[in-house]
Amino acid sequence: MASQADYRDRQFLAVIGDEDSVTGLLLAGIGHVTAPPDNQKNFLVVDAKTDTASIEAAFERFTTERKDIGIVLINQHIADRIRNRVDTYTQAFPTILEIPSKDHPYDPEKDSVLRRVRRLFGE
Amino acid sequence: MSNTTTNPDPNLAQTTPPLPNPASASTSTSTTTATPTATTPIDALLTHYLTLLDEYTTLRHTLHTLQTRLYQDLARANFAAERGVRRYGSDYYDGRMQAGRRVVGAEGGSGAEPPVTVGDGVGDEDVKEKQPEEEISDAAPGGGDDEKEMAKPVDPLRWFGILTPLPLRQAQGHAIKAVEEIIPRLATLNTAMAAVELEVRRARKKRAKAEKAEEKKLVALEEKMAEVDVNA
Repeated sequence: MASQADYRDRQFLAVIGDEDSVTGLLLAGIGHVTAPPDNQKNFLVVDAKTDTASIEAAFERFTTERKDIGIVLINQHIADRIRNRVDTYTQAFPTILEIPSKDHPYDPEKDSVLRRVRRLFGE
Repeated sequence: MSNTTTNPDPNLAQTTPPLPNPASASTSTSTTTATPTATTPIDALLTHYLTLLDEYTTLRHTLHTLQTRLYQDLARANFAAERGVRRYGSDYYDGRMQAGRRVVGAEGGSGAEPPVTVGDGVGDEDVKEKQPEEEISDAAPGGGDDEKEMAKPVDPLRWFGILTPLPLRQAQGHAIKAVEEIIPRLATLNTAMAAVELEVRRARKKRAKAEKAEEKKLVALEEKMAEVDVNA
C-alpha cells in the first residue's frame, strides 16, 4: 500500500471526459495547470476526433506519471474505449471513478466496482 | 427470520438460524455444513461489504441525478447564451487555472481506507467548517516553482464573463455538490470495498485450506479403520 506521505501529495482531481462533463467539473474548481515549463493540465476534453491513443496517454499520465493526482474521473463511454487499461488498473492511488456523460447514461453493467462485486460473489 | 417467531414448533425454530443476509448466505451454503465456525467471519465481512455496496449504489444514484441537472443547466445556459458566446465550453477555459478544490486525505484513516474529502484549498468558503477533523490542504503545495503562481484561484465562473447566466451558476452549484460530497465518498468506498474483497478472498482461502486438511484427516482415519477391519 502507498505510504501516507505519498497519499498526501495527491491533491488534485483529474478528469477525462466530453466537453460538458469537463466544463461542469472545472466549474467546481478542480482544474489546474502547472507552472509554465510544463503547463500540464489535469483534464482532457475528448470529442469525436480524439483518438484512443491520446486518451490512453492521458490515462497513463494521470495514473502513473503524475504523483499529484488523487482521483481520476472518466466518462464511462470513454473508459469503454480503453476498457482493458481501466480494468487492469490495480493501484490504490489514484482512484478511478467512472461517471456518466450527457449522451451516454451510466450503465452499472460496465462499472468496474460492480464488476468486482459480481466477481466476488460469482466465485 | 420472522419464521422463528411464528413457527409453533420450538425445535424447528431452533434448527433454522436467522440469516444475516440472503446474498451472503447463498455464497456460503456449500460449506456451512462442513465447518460452521469458519464461515462466520466471512459472513460478517460479506455483510459489511453489502452495506458498503448499498451506500455505493445510493451515492451513484445521487451522482447521476446531480449530473443530469448539471447537463440540463449547461444546455439551458448554452441555449440562452448571448450573441457572441458560441458555447460555454473549452474555448473559455483559463490557461492558467489553479485548482480551488483539492483532494484532502485524513491522517487518522484506518489503514486501508483513508477517508477522502475534497476541500477548498484557499478557504474563502465554508468548506473548512464541514471537516474539522481532517487536515486541510495548504494553498501552497510543496513544489517550489508553483508558489509564484499560487496566488488565488479565480472563480471559474469568471472565465465566462462578469454577468454569467443563472443556469450556469446553478450548474456550478450542482458540480460543487458532486465534487465535495459525492465523489470523495465514492472514492473512499471504492478503496474500502477493495480492502474487504481482499479480506474475503483471504478468509476463503483459509477456509479451503482447513477443509482440505480435514478431508485428509478423514481419509487417513478411514484408511486406518479399513486396516483394522482387514486385520480383524
